[in-house]
Amino acid sequence: MAVSTVLRAVKQAIWLGWKVDTNWADPLVFAIYYLVRPLAGLLIVGFIFLVGSFSAGGALNSEYFTYMFIGNSFFIYVVQIMMTMTMLIHEDRAHYEVLKHIYLSPSSLTWYILGRALNGVMNATVSLLLTLGFGVAIFQGLLGVQIPINWLQIDAPLLALSLILGITCFIAMGFILCGINIMTSKVQFMLTEYVSGILYLFGGVIFIPQILPPWGQTISNALPITYFLRSVRFSILHQSDFAVQTDLMYLVLTMLATIMISLAVFKVSMYKARRDGLIDKKEEY
Amino acid sequence: MREELALNLRATYARLWVRIKGGNREPEWLIAEMIIPILTLSAYIYMYKMVNAPPEFSGFVIIGGTMIAFWSNVLWNMSAQFYWEKETGTLEAYFVAPVSRMAILLGMALGGIVNTTLRAISILVVGLLVFQVPLMIYEPLTALLIFFLTLIALYALGMLFASLFMMYGREAWHTANLLQEPVQFLSGSYFPIGGPAVPYVVQLLSSLIPLSFGLDGIRRVVILGEGIANTWLNVVALVIFILILLPLAKAALNYMENLGKKEGRLTLRWQ
Repeated sequence: MAVSTVLRAVKQAIWLGWKVDTNWADPLVFAIYYLVRPLAGLLIVGFIFLVGSFSAGGALNSEYFTYMFIGNSFFIYVVQIMMTMTMLIHEDRAHYEVLKHIYLSPSSLTWYILGRALNGVMNATVSLLLTLGFGVAIFQGLLGVQIPINWLQIDAPLLALSLILGITCFIAMGFILCGINIMTSKVQFMLTEYVSGILYLFGGVIFIPQILPPWGQTISNALPITYFLRSVRFSILHQSDFAVQTDLMYLVLTMLATIMISLAVFKVSMYKARRDGLIDKKEEY
Repeated sequence: MREELALNLRATYARLWVRIKGGNREPEWLIAEMIIPILTLSAYIYMYKMVNAPPEFSGFVIIGGTMIAFWSNVLWNMSAQFYWEKETGTLEAYFVAPVSRMAILLGMALGGIVNTTLRAISILVVGLLVFQVPLMIYEPLTALLIFFLTLIALYALGMLFASLFMMYGREAWHTANLLQEPVQFLSGSYFPIGGPAVPYVVQLLSSLIPLSFGLDGIRRVVILGEGIANTWLNVVALVIFILILLPLAKAALNYMENLGKKEGRLTLRWQ
């Protein structure tokens, strides 16, 4: 397929996703919507930290707080990408009934899904920036919690590299979920929650994985998000228990493994969906 | 009068039956609704462990997660229900039926309570067993009283939202999403809202949500071993919420139905 055709399909999918996500509200309401949920999520863990530390009678550990602050904020990418990609097949097939038309179009469904995922990445970036800004304003500005981040000293190339690798990996996970969704019709709502929940618990998002039981640490070590968040934290805080090169290497390895699995799952799923007539299967329940 | 009551009760039972049957016919849904909350709860409990918080905080999280199951049910299977019905083309069937809309909503609520109680009990039991949280229940009837008052207040709020969501298109989905984490935060689902570490303005906003009073009361009775002498204010607050929300829900439903008919939005799909 010509590169221009692929690029056009991806661009149109991004544009469509943007319209679907945003044109139900004016820009202000949209911005509030994309701020309120992640910010409330950050406030929940922030206050768990504050209330827990206060009850323990010890001083607030600002290093741990910053660890949690960065982890929870960047977890937005996981939630947004998973939510976009798990609901995509259901919405386009059963709700809007356009999946069959997209499947019949000259460009591949894969590129369309990729475009929609990239729109999820755009939305997540908006949420991330708003959450970081308001999070610092609320916790540091209003509540006096020290967040030792020098925003001018961030290692931008490392952050960009970590984001590209991490996001690629999350999109690959999303393709696995799309494959499962095309084969099924009743699990789309729970898939996001399962994947996000497992990554949230074992990925070192809001607490250090070392306090997990040994089997939990083993799971944590196998997950790409663990290395993604370590390298993001290193790029922002310039501190890590591990060498950042090692984390990046593990991130690349886990990303490649995820991509290979996702390609296989998605290809097999599409083959079976075509064979079993699932591409235009509409199911109300 | 008696015939009308019997008809409405039959409609309530019918909707309740559908809700229970529909909610439990998919084993994968049942399992997911039991397992997924445990993942998030566990993350919050480990966070409390990381900052060396006292063990009762793990209990606070488990009770919060258990009650949040009801809030999620209110949002998605109560408030957003008329939106789903509209999208699938069955809303008009409700409106042409010779029964009260409140009877239908009551059936949904009762069915939802039964289904969610099954899931909530499993979340509670698994959470307590895994994290070895000790309970101190000296007044189980007080705990049950606060629990049931909380449920009535929450589902009354759900009925009120249902009338608003009926008019929505995609906004319904986004609004239900929007009411998850913010309500979990403001109701103190995972941390005690009344402590000195929580700013006054957050506590003030928290008092607008019935779940806050319910959670606080249940935690005091179940985890801290307090009784009605310490929680009677929670009971009063919940009763006030119920007295306000139920009539308001009925009025809002009538108003929105009329508005929907005038604007032709009751059968509008894919908004």
